[in-house]
Amino acid sequence: MSNIKWSYMDHWRSNGPAGPIDQWHSHKTMSAFLKQIKAVGFDAIDTFDFRIWQMYGDYGGPVKYQEMVRDHGLEGIINTFHAADYDTRNYAPHLRETHENILEDFRVTMGRWSGVGLNSIIVMPATLYYDMEPITEDKLKITAELWNKVGEITAGHGVKLTCHHEFFCGIQSEADIDTFYANTDPQYVSLFVDTAQHCIASVDLVPLYRRHAHRASGFHFKDTRNVATGDDHRHRPDSEIMAPTTGKWFYEMGTPNGLVDFEEMMRAIKEEQFEGWITVEHDKANKYGGDYSESTAISRWYAANVLEHIYR
Amino acid sequence: MNTIRWSYAINQYKPQFDDFVRREDHERALKTMSIAGFEGVELTTGSGRWEPLGNPTQLTANFGSLRRFRTFLDDCKISAVSSWFFDPHQRVMEDLTPALSPLVAADRDGIVARATWFASALAELGGSVLVASATPPAGDCGEIDDAALGRLADCWAAVGRATLEHGVRTALHVDFLSPLREPANLNRLLELIGPADAGLAVDTAEFTIAGQDPAEIIRRHPGRIWHVQFKDALAVDAAGEYLVPHAQYSVRQRGGDREIPRWFAEPGADGGLVDFTGVMQALIDIGYTGWIVFESDPSPHPATSTLLGGYLMQEQLRPLIAASVVEGHGVTTAKGS
Repeated sequence: MSNIKWSYMDHWRSNGPAGPIDQWHSHKTMSAFLKQIKAVGFDAIDTFDFRIWQMYGDYGGPVKYQEMVRDHGLEGIINTFHAADYDTRNYAPHLRETHENILEDFRVTMGRWSGVGLNSIIVMPATLYYDMEPITEDKLKITAELWNKVGEITAGHGVKLTCHHEFFCGIQSEADIDTFYANTDPQYVSLFVDTAQHCIASVDLVPLYRRHAHRASGFHFKDTRNVATGDDHRHRPDSEIMAPTTGKWFYEMGTPNGLVDFEEMMRAIKEEQFEGWITVEHDKANKYGGDYSESTAISRWYAANVLEHIYR
Repeated sequence: MNTIRWSYAINQYKPQFDDFVRREDHERALKTMSIAGFEGVELTTGSGRWEPLGNPTQLTANFGSLRRFRTFLDDCKISAVSSWFFDPHQRVMEDLTPALSPLVAADRDGIVARATWFASALAELGGSVLVASATPPAGDCGEIDDAALGRLADCWAAVGRATLEHGVRTALHVDFLSPLREPANLNRLLELIGPADAGLAVDTAEFTIAGQDPAEIIRRHPGRIWHVQFKDALAVDAAGEYLVPHAQYSVRQRGGDREIPRWFAEPGADGGLVDFTGVMQALIDIGYTGWIVFESDPSPHPATSTLLGGYLMQEQLRPLIAASVVEGHGVTTAKGS
């Protein structure tokens, strides 16, 4: 019996007759995607919250979509990423006046996912850095207050609320992350470790994980070749695909010249006796001539032939 | 206990001579094949310095030695070169020899020497089958009469005996341009070649495009199937365009009068004409032992083709084999059916 299972965060592009498409283009392209994920040995997928509309419109709802996932030999959907449209007018965790709107969003969202059996719902816990700065203890406490309440809502549906710290969000430095978790309830707020995002933000990844291992609910295992410099983390309007210094931040695990020490991370996960899901991710893999199928194969090869020798 | 081993053909990764020449490209392709469940890789013969995997001389030039190339494969978790696709109709720059033809009696010894060169290396790389392009295209062959078939048989039997000295069997590959797509020609050739000297490589797409059912070919020649290539076909040459001269350019490459954009695809592709379940069942029924090599030949998206092939192999074909073991056919696979 394995301690670790592998899920795939469902970023995907392929080439259709009219140009690039994602797997949601048609049921055939979805099937081709799921076959490839299964073929390389993943056990399940993660997905995005915003896909739920197509799940309802094109598949009969998330439960029906999950049936299709299972028909391809996968266990199902493990986590969903709640990619919110952060806006200081109505959706900004450090602004108390927007909290009721956010709470209502989660009350509705969790109902939509009922029946799927999610493990976690993943959030970026702060708005964009430039909309939150200066980052103060008060703002971090107000943000923590919100996510404690959201965590109670999701827990009521049997789903963990877990936080994923993008290098360009308001809670991305080591000190601010620690302050945030010091003010949140481990029962309701978990940590989701994205190896590349922390590395880009110059956070010492493994010690961060070890400090919060008791509340780590999952991981995005992806690599990077660059650390953010200057104003990369606060570049307007966007840092992730528009920062002038770096055209492509993310690479698949196993890429040459990657900065993340996955072997050290895996040893830490073993020593902390983590049992559960590790999600592999490589968003924007197709940039600069990359290929999602190949990146997915290379990353799963690395997991099978390097990391599983450390811990499985 | 019989054993089926699964391999993937490298040819789809190299659409043009200046593609797929760098070590990192090879590494990513081999790792992709490995994680998709394939144990071996099938190489394609080639010549010149931009064919780093094309022949023993180039492998040695690029890796230092065949043994070190084998180590590179091991590092990528590919356990063997299953087979080498050998085309005697290509010139070989390494020894300055021209294109040779198995239909020309005077070329026989040259083809035997070349085949031996590859077989010797293949044995060192863990492989067991030289997959030989059996004839030139039909439109360039002249009349295929008994005399011509006799010359073919003489050549390939001699090649087969020579490669067997290295533990490598020679399997004749019949493509859809070959005059051997005609059952009478193929039957006669196999009669003329001693059953221990050379066998048949069944390429599912080539026979399908030629209007033949690959499962039926397998059942018709049960003792002669020495190698299998699984690739899908997207069209049939029902008009007999294979007979025009130089059809490798006008038909295979350009698509013939209908301008078929893609004859071949990965097994199970949308619109594919090959019934792989039926072919697999035929192989099980004859007790086939050996390699099954997946191909796309070529593919616009090689990694995608590899993974889709891996899914078909793992989720549909291996379970067929597993079921047959339960039923007592006595066939198994090397990687845990």
